[in-house]
Amino acid sequence: MVDLSQTKSAEYAGPAPTLASRLAPYALPIFLILMIVVAGVISPAFLSANNISNMLLQAAPLGIVVIGQAFVIILRGLDLSVSSVMATSAVIATGFSGVNGDVIPILLVAVGIGVATGVVNGLLVTKRSVSPFLATLATMIVLQGFRFAYTQGAPSGNVPPLFRTLGSATWNGIPYNMMLLVVLAAVFWVLLAKTRFGREVYITGGNPTTARLLGINADRVTIIGYVISGGLAAIAGLVLSGYVGIVDNWVGRGFELDSIVAAVMGGISLAGGRGGIIGGLFGAAVLIVVFNAVLLFGLPVQFQIIIKGLVIVAAAAFYVRRSH
Amino acid sequence: MLKLTGISKGFTGVQALSSINFDVRAGEIHALVGENGAGKSTTIKIIAGAYKPDAGTLEFDGRQVHWARPADAKAAGIHVIYQEFVLFPHLTVAENIFLGHERRGAFGMIDHARTRRDAADLLGKLGVDIDPDRLVSELTVADQQMVEISKALVHKVKLLILDEPTAVISGREAELLFARLAVLKAEGVAIVYVSHRLEEIFQIADRVTVFKDGQHVVTTDIGNVDRNRLIAYMVGRDLKDIFPPKPDTDAPGKVVLKAENITVEGRVRNAGIELRAGEITALAGMVGAGRTEFAMGIFGGLPISSGTVTIDGERLSNVSPALSIARGVGFVTEDRKGQGLAMQLDVAANISAADLGGVTSGGLLDRRRENEIARHEIDNYRIACRGPATPVATMSGGNQQKVIVARWARTSRKVLILDEPTRGVDVGAKTEIYRIMRQLADAGIAILMISSELPEVVGMADRVVVMREGVVSGELAGAAITEAAIMSLATQHPVREAAE
Amino acid sequence: MSATVSSGSSGFSRTLKKNQGVFVVLALLVLLLIFGSVVSDRFRTSNNFLNILEQSTGLALVSLGQTLTILTGGIDLSVGSMISLLSTVTSGTINGDVSMVAPVVVGILLLGLVIGLVNGLLIIWLKVHPLIVTLGTGAVLQGIVLLYSLGPAGKVPRGFTFLAYGKVLGIPLGAIFVVVVFALVGAFLTYFRLGRYIFAVGDDDAGALLMGLPRAKVILTVYGFSGFCCAMAAIYLTARFGVGQPYTGLNYTLASITPVVVGGTLLSGGKGGVLGTLLGVYLISLLNNVLNFMDVSTHYQLIAQGLIVIAAVSIYVERRKKV
Repeated sequence: MVDLSQTKSAEYAGPAPTLASRLAPYALPIFLILMIVVAGVISPAFLSANNISNMLLQAAPLGIVVIGQAFVIILRGLDLSVSSVMATSAVIATGFSGVNGDVIPILLVAVGIGVATGVVNGLLVTKRSVSPFLATLATMIVLQGFRFAYTQGAPSGNVPPLFRTLGSATWNGIPYNMMLLVVLAAVFWVLLAKTRFGREVYITGGNPTTARLLGINADRVTIIGYVISGGLAAIAGLVLSGYVGIVDNWVGRGFELDSIVAAVMGGISLAGGRGGIIGGLFGAAVLIVVFNAVLLFGLPVQFQIIIKGLVIVAAAAFYVRRSH
Repeated sequence: MLKLTGISKGFTGVQALSSINFDVRAGEIHALVGENGAGKSTTIKIIAGAYKPDAGTLEFDGRQVHWARPADAKAAGIHVIYQEFVLFPHLTVAENIFLGHERRGAFGMIDHARTRRDAADLLGKLGVDIDPDRLVSELTVADQQMVEISKALVHKVKLLILDEPTAVISGREAELLFARLAVLKAEGVAIVYVSHRLEEIFQIADRVTVFKDGQHVVTTDIGNVDRNRLIAYMVGRDLKDIFPPKPDTDAPGKVVLKAENITVEGRVRNAGIELRAGEITALAGMVGAGRTEFAMGIFGGLPISSGTVTIDGERLSNVSPALSIARGVGFVTEDRKGQGLAMQLDVAANISAADLGGVTSGGLLDRRRENEIARHEIDNYRIACRGPATPVATMSGGNQQKVIVARWARTSRKVLILDEPTRGVDVGAKTEIYRIMRQLADAGIAILMISSELPEVVGMADRVVVMREGVVSGELAGAAITEAAIMSLATQHPVREAAE
Repeated sequence: MSATVSSGSSGFSRTLKKNQGVFVVLALLVLLLIFGSVVSDRFRTSNNFLNILEQSTGLALVSLGQTLTILTGGIDLSVGSMISLLSTVTSGTINGDVSMVAPVVVGILLLGLVIGLVNGLLIIWLKVHPLIVTLGTGAVLQGIVLLYSLGPAGKVPRGFTFLAYGKVLGIPLGAIFVVVVFALVGAFLTYFRLGRYIFAVGDDDAGALLMGLPRAKVILTVYGFSGFCCAMAAIYLTARFGVGQPYTGLNYTLASITPVVVGGTLLSGGKGGVLGTLLGVYLISLLNNVLNFMDVSTHYQLIAQGLIVIAAVSIYVERRKKV
């Protein structure tokens, strides 16, 4: 008897990878390098140590938020509440007496709020099947209300010096906040790419029904994803408060969109189950370079927003084409 | 009326149709048969303009045509009743029936009263009593099917295609459908009728065409073939070569899983079953009879409102997938893409998915071990792929199915449940899967196979449990397992002898 | 069967049958009215109610367009930027010149329509989810309006404010306009094929394609109309504030979604309607009004609004799977 499974299946194994499909995963790093080269040629100031150090300083808070956003988006979600968490934790940072002794309580309170927000988001999404967009939108508004009520509209007070150092100082040109980002990125990269929990995140995000039938507690995995996002957003808020120095109610505004744009650009699919932290961080790097280049080229700052808008649509369209 | 010449169509990793020819005449009922995955659905979608063929020509009503979209085929007079209904759950019955052909009055405004009246008329013509004002989501599956059928009667069609219309209806409703088809045929409509139920085909069809593995096998007048001949065409070889021999011991194995009084809200009532070590038990019945829900209830994939599951003497009243897996029960789902595979992940990750603990060491996933296991299973099950890192999305249905079976065979020490294990799988892979199932049974595992394919049930099962409308309607064993006996229990209508 | 057929013959009762959300919102409205009357005497005055109607005009218009995009299973996140842009350009180009009013109003309405159509075209061509597309175009439009002006631009002639503050028989013009427009759109959804197809596309996008329904036309219609609604809202808000500025629309993106979901329209599409949205708008305006009377600061009003969204979406649990 002829063994059909062998003869038949050979042609089923799919087309051999083409050069283009081999290069596709590196599209973003290549794009980033090209942009840096072009920007450096047009404006030599771009590659000055000072400017690079400056970009790294700006990149760190965004990078920290993107890590959390990556977990949520891989889980088929989306976290709009990150900006509100950031602003709230920044307000908390100034809410004490502004000395270094307050750092621990500030950290506990801020991260606590971030984690609590994540729990609420996760519960709404899993137990009440509210769409992530609406759930995180609602918590964002509620948290904003609490923040306004707490500050009575005008926050005042000082950021402890330690946060100032963390947020804006450098060591041999390397910002401390960038070191923090690298540490956090490494920890969460291991969690996502190398542990059982990380695999459960991918399976749940790819298909929650499959996950459930595999005995994975999909709800718990999802809630933890939102908790990670909320907690990291709180830390990013503290870092950002140290960077800007003066805190108002809107610190972190725009980070919800920037972090989503960075993640999508980095190949993290909004359909879930696909992408990783490194891609998301490359996406964040591209955004920061674009923002910086706009200013350096003497373009009006508004172009930052316009380019951001064009980039997110183009990136999403690019990945839609690739997945077909 | 319709003529397909040299039509080919491929998808990622699969050649679904290779150069097939097919024609339908006005005023005939042309049956299209073949096993799951033979290319029937793809052909229908090409005729309906939902897919574009890679090669070949399509002639309709004497002219060569190229459909850019389904709307074109529809406008030309082709109507398809898909197996997966195209019904809009939040619209009413009447609105669904006339969608795209709204009854309109002054200023082009929709005339709701007339829509309802005409819908009631149409349903009356079909002989069913369905309130046109109800939302489609509130109807039973059988009623939804009748609504789907009535959509075909709204406007003059030249070619009507029905894909498994009787999968969810039976008896009286099926007779109503056949009577209506006879009227349409007399009016000169060309009808393509796809069905698994061969006795129906002998009852109503004029000609029959057989597909196998994406290729055209034969087209002939129905009078020229008998039932066995047709099956041989569909399967491509004698049945005895496909199914591994059943063991001839008469001693039934030890009961390893016993489910009692299982009730799944709205789908299954007080159903029970016993699965024995070393045996293949088939769960048969019509689509919608509650088989999948029953098995899911046993596994813990669906909440049960009553009942107990006893595994190896341990009584569980609160089953969950995690618990079942821990007790050595596995579930190969019917819906590979929707419930079985993690489509974004590769072969290795899919095989280890039910046993992540087994590939974790020191808190981290051991990718090397995962790959070793995958390589072993790829050899073991002859999975055609480029290695452990092949994304499952690029593989054929048969090989995807082997990946899932490999996954569950590793963790299922006691019971393996397989829901329609050969759906959308070519005959080669099918033979492989049957062989694997028998091997597992011989190794002492209790197998529960849900199947709608009667030859498969008869060929594989040592014991058959039949369900009808949510309850277990009977059990057959040994020589008593025949297609007629199963159909009789599944429908409680004495089955007509096919092809006199 | 004829008995069941004759019942529920009017479009209005059809709407009710299909959207139980309307009942929920109506009940909440009544509760709030009673509660408000207890809390404050001034609440009960007709002046206060007219005030509420007048203030809700802008939100009502934006939410109307948003309802249609959400009914198709999409969303329009560019409405805030559209309003900012259109409003700033309105007062910037009129710039106090009475003779410019008519051409500018017509031009702005057209511009809104065109921007909306661009959204629709991008969604169709790029096959990217509307959420991302409109997020992107929203950012682009916000950048453009800031390039146009960093602050309030131009001014409008005194007579122009009549659009916002004018009254007919003592009822605010805007409130009457809103009811008329909502009724027209409601009739469109109930009595016209394209309206029916909006529900079908939202219910089952792939099925709509298989049925040969004009999906592209549906998408263009709803996003074009959303842009048009933003233009109407922008003109109204410009009249109300006397000037347009680049952050006029800022809060409307999210605010426009609230009444839609509160009114029972599913974010996943296919179910709901404009009546629920209108009641949702009134509910939110009334809630803010009652909270004002209770001397609750706007900060807590935000919290209340967020909680209402959470409550609403938790009540109407969305279906997970089609039939």
